[in-house]
This record gives sequence, C-alpha cells and structure tokens, in this order.
Amino acid sequence: MFYLTTGIQMMLHNRVRLLLTMLGVAIAFFLVAAQSGLLIGWINTCTAIVRHAEADLWVMAEKAPAFDYGTAIPRQCLSQARSVPGVVWSEGLFIGWNIWHRQDGKRVNVQLVGLDKRCLGGPWQMQEGEVSCVLQPNTVIVDDLYRSALGFERVGQEFEMIGRHARIGGVSSGVRTLSACPFVFTSLKQAIQYDQRYRDDEITYVMARCAADADPVAVQHEMQRRMPRMEVLTTAEFATRTALYWMLETGVGITVVVTACLGLAVSIGITSQTLYAITQEHLSNYATLLALGFRRGTLVRMVLVQSLLLGLAGVLGGSALFFPAAMLSARTPIPLETTPLVYAVLIIVSLASCGVAALMSVRTIFHIDPVKVFHS
Amino acid sequence: MKPVVEACDLSKHYGSGEAEERVLEKVSLRLSEGEACVLLGPSGSGKTTLLSILGCLLTPSGGELRLLGQPVDFSRASSLPEWRRTTLGFVFQHAQLLPFVPVLGNLHLVGRNAGLDEETLTKRVDALLEQLGLAAMKHKKPGALSGGQRQRVAIARALLHRPAVLLADEPTAALDWHTGQVVADMLVEQSRNSGAALLVVTHDTRLVPKFDRVFHMENGSLREVTTHSS
Repeated sequence: MFYLTTGIQMMLHNRVRLLLTMLGVAIAFFLVAAQSGLLIGWINTCTAIVRHAEADLWVMAEKAPAFDYGTAIPRQCLSQARSVPGVVWSEGLFIGWNIWHRQDGKRVNVQLVGLDKRCLGGPWQMQEGEVSCVLQPNTVIVDDLYRSALGFERVGQEFEMIGRHARIGGVSSGVRTLSACPFVFTSLKQAIQYDQRYRDDEITYVMARCAADADPVAVQHEMQRRMPRMEVLTTAEFATRTALYWMLETGVGITVVVTACLGLAVSIGITSQTLYAITQEHLSNYATLLALGFRRGTLVRMVLVQSLLLGLAGVLGGSALFFPAAMLSARTPIPLETTPLVYAVLIIVSLASCGVAALMSVRTIFHIDPVKVFHS
Repeated sequence: MKPVVEACDLSKHYGSGEAEERVLEKVSLRLSEGEACVLLGPSGSGKTTLLSILGCLLTPSGGELRLLGQPVDFSRASSLPEWRRTTLGFVFQHAQLLPFVPVLGNLHLVGRNAGLDEETLTKRVDALLEQLGLAAMKHKKPGALSGGQRQRVAIARALLHRPAVLLADEPTAALDWHTGQVVADMLVEQSRNSGAALLVVTHDTRLVPKFDRVFHMENGSLREVTTHSS
C-alpha cells in the first residue's frame, strides 16, 4: 500500500493547489447534487397529491397529460368503478384552474382541488385545522408556504374566488405546486360551483382502492374494459406520466439534467486538469521510480489513488454544502430532496468521473521513458 | 571473482538507412563483484547509452547482456523492472530523490518496492544512514539537504536492496570538488563493502585513482585504459 501514501504525499506537496482543487471538485459535486435534488424535489412536488391519495387506481379522461391538466368525466364513473370486483371504495376528485382574489385587490391564479367525502387527495400534513373542514360550506384549505402569495394571515379570513366566498378553514404544510399556482383545497361540490365550467354531474378523476387480496393490475384491466372511453391508470403509472410531462414536455427536467451534466463535466475538467498538472510536475520523479524498478502499474495506482481521493474530497465537501442547503430549502416552494439510492449513484458517478479524469495522466505514465532520468 | 555483468557485442543504432546513427558499436564488458570501475569519455560518446542498457532501461539493437550469469531478455519488457528492482542500483547526477517525502520515506519507498520486510528494512536503513553520516537528517526533506547530503542519500537508496551492480551517472558533477571527493570515496567504499560491482560514468579524471579499472569510450567504442588492481 506504499503507493497510497506516496500518492497522497505527492498531492500534499502543493497544498494550496490541492485545497483549491478540492474546493472546485466539492462545488462541482454540490452543483450535481443540487440539480438532482431539484429534480427529485420537483418530481415529488408534481406527483405529491397522486402519491398521497391512498388510491390504487385512477380513472380519467383519455390522454390526460398530467394530474394538473385533467378534464371533465361523468360522475357516474364513480359508481362504475365501485362496481368492479376487487374495488373497496372509489372517490371523486376535482382539479381546475381558478382565480383567488386577495384582500388587497390583487388576483392570483390557483389550482382548485375538490375533495370527496373521505377527503382523499387532500393535504397530508396540516398545520392548523382538519382536512375535513373543507366539507363545511365555502371553506378552503391553503398551504403555509403560500401565505404571502395568497395574502392570508390566519384561519377564518375570507377571500373570493370568481365571485364566491372562500373562508380559510385550515392551513396545510408542505403542499407545494410546480405550476407556481398554489393549491386551494375545498369540497368537490364547492369546487364545481367555483369553477363554473363543470356541470354538477362531472368530476376530473375517480380514485379507487383495491381490496388487499385483489391484484390492482387485474382490477385495472377489468375497469378499463368496463369504461372503454376512459383511461385507467395505476397510481405509479399516473405519477410517472405526470412527472414525465413536467420534466420533458415543459423542458424543466431537461434543463436540470443538462445543468447536472455540466456540473459533472466541470468536475471532470477540474480533476483532470489538476491530476495532469501533478503528473507533469512529477514526471522526473515518476521516471526515477521507473528506473528504480517500480512497475508502471504501481505508478498508475498512485494516480488513481490521487483521483479517488480528490473525488472523495469532492463528495465530502459537496455533501457538507448539500445537506444544510436541503434542510434550509425544506420549507420553501423549491425543495432540494434526495434518496439514499440517488445519492449513492451520485457518489459512484462522481468517483467514476474522477477515474475518467485520471485517464490523461495514466496515458502520460505509460509514455514516460525511464532513460529520461539520466538527462534530468 | 565472480562476474556479475557480462556484456557481449552490445550495439545501439537509431534510425535506418542513411539516417542511421550508431551510438554503440559491439561493446563488450565484464564486471566482477566488488570491482570499482570508471567510464570516461567525451559527451556524446555513448557512455549514458551503455549505462542505460546495462541498467535494463534501454533495449540494445544487438548483442547480449548477462547479469549474475542470467541472460537479460530485453524482448520481455515486463521482466526488466524486476532486474532493476533486485539486481541493479542507481545513483544519478542530481540524486533524483522524491522531494515530497523525507529521507526516511525515500529509502523506505524503494526498500518496500524491493520486497524487504519492515524489520530488515529498518535495520538496513539505520545502518546505511549511520555509515553515510546521515542519521541526523533522516526526517528532513531533500530540499533541506545540501547537494552532497542528497547524493549520499541517493547512495544509501541505491545500496538498500544490496544490488549486485551499482551504476552511477556523473554522481559528483553537481557537487564542489571537496564534496565530490567525499561522495566518490563513499560510493567506492560502500560498493566494495556490499560486494557490488560499481560502474561510474564521469568527466572528472581526478576521480580515476579511486577505481580499480578505467574504461574509455569514444564514438560508441569501448576500451579499457588501465587496470589498477592487476
């Protein structure tokens, strides 16, 4: 393992350069982690209601591109879904765009969500009040994140949505929106009254829950067979469709992925440049070691150790920046989120990119002529 | 005395046809254990090329080299580091110590690469540093040493794995006269003590009396000038 200590000592020979490189690699890792964190945060945000609704199946108008863009379907789909063997319950859900009139006269576009009797598809974290308050007349729930956007201060305040009163009956926590139009939750009945484009016998979605012993896919197929003019998706399929819409159709995801790739490229560039500079600076030392009987493989291991250590320093430094940033962003409309699997992949990709960065230096090692040592 | 280096008709050519440059022409040489030899000659005469071939650093165009009676197979490039690691020791003009590790680290690195166990390595390092008057310097980095001290460390490094052949390229050229004399004396003394055959390339003819045999190289041809010990 002497190549390990020698590789480290070689790097430590120029500490200022090492420190600057570690800083650069750490910032590059943070950039990649932050971009992936944004991506995960956005995917979680745009699929949150779908995932938290506790439903197994969703019935919707054909080719609904995303949860936010569902269109009207007949209310009778509810009973049709309920009649499919294996279905325990089914509930309706409404979603539509609306206008929130603030008390200062400003208007804000919102996404109105109408909840059925069980209030499924509603907020999953409440700061004040109960979710069931939406069943009271003219009562809505808004999220704490959008206090300033919606101009509210407390429960009980009254606003208007297209000429109808809306009293704040509860405040949710962490129910974000990707469209920049805050969610406003109310009952299904009131939502249709607020919207005016829906008839009383229309809803946007039917959510259905399967029995524990039923196969959701089999139930899905049967439901689809019985409602051929509707589209029946599992929760996972609907969440994926919604995420793909926001990430691909709107260009949001592409931008984030491209920025993450740029971060990775910057990381490779910085590491590559530094490793190459270190190798060039120590060419005569490498030539000496070769002349003294060291194998090229040993010298290559020294370079790889250096690249891995730079990578690790980048991961540690970048993580030291990322996790506090993620904590700080947790209560903002744009959260940085990650999962153990994604973070592990990021670390592996980052270390692998450092390995790639070492290629030029490794190539140099293979071209060193030990006879050089006599001409130094 | 047992021959440790047997070079027979070694030649080295660069290029081909009219552009061919013949650097070494059928050079034969035999060095025995404990022998201290010096190689003189003008610049460009082929001294370094011969040293590089004897040190298994350069592949000859023709001829044969045997070390410790075994032929060196230059066609198997992977076998050459093994000769350098176990049988050969080098002292270079500018010591060529690793600047980022202290004296002790420079010696340990080479010792470990030669496969010495920790106990043997520590004993040999301590003994060599003591013999070469470097015991107090062992924790210093090469940058903190004088040229003579660095060259003594290089001698210790070359002898650490007890090579059969010690090759030195202008070991005193970068030193003042007095320091050069001291280093040359140490080099000869240490190689004799260890039983290694020593071949020193130098321009400095004042060092000649210290050696048993003197070779002269000119235009790629080698001849022995005199043999003190005979």
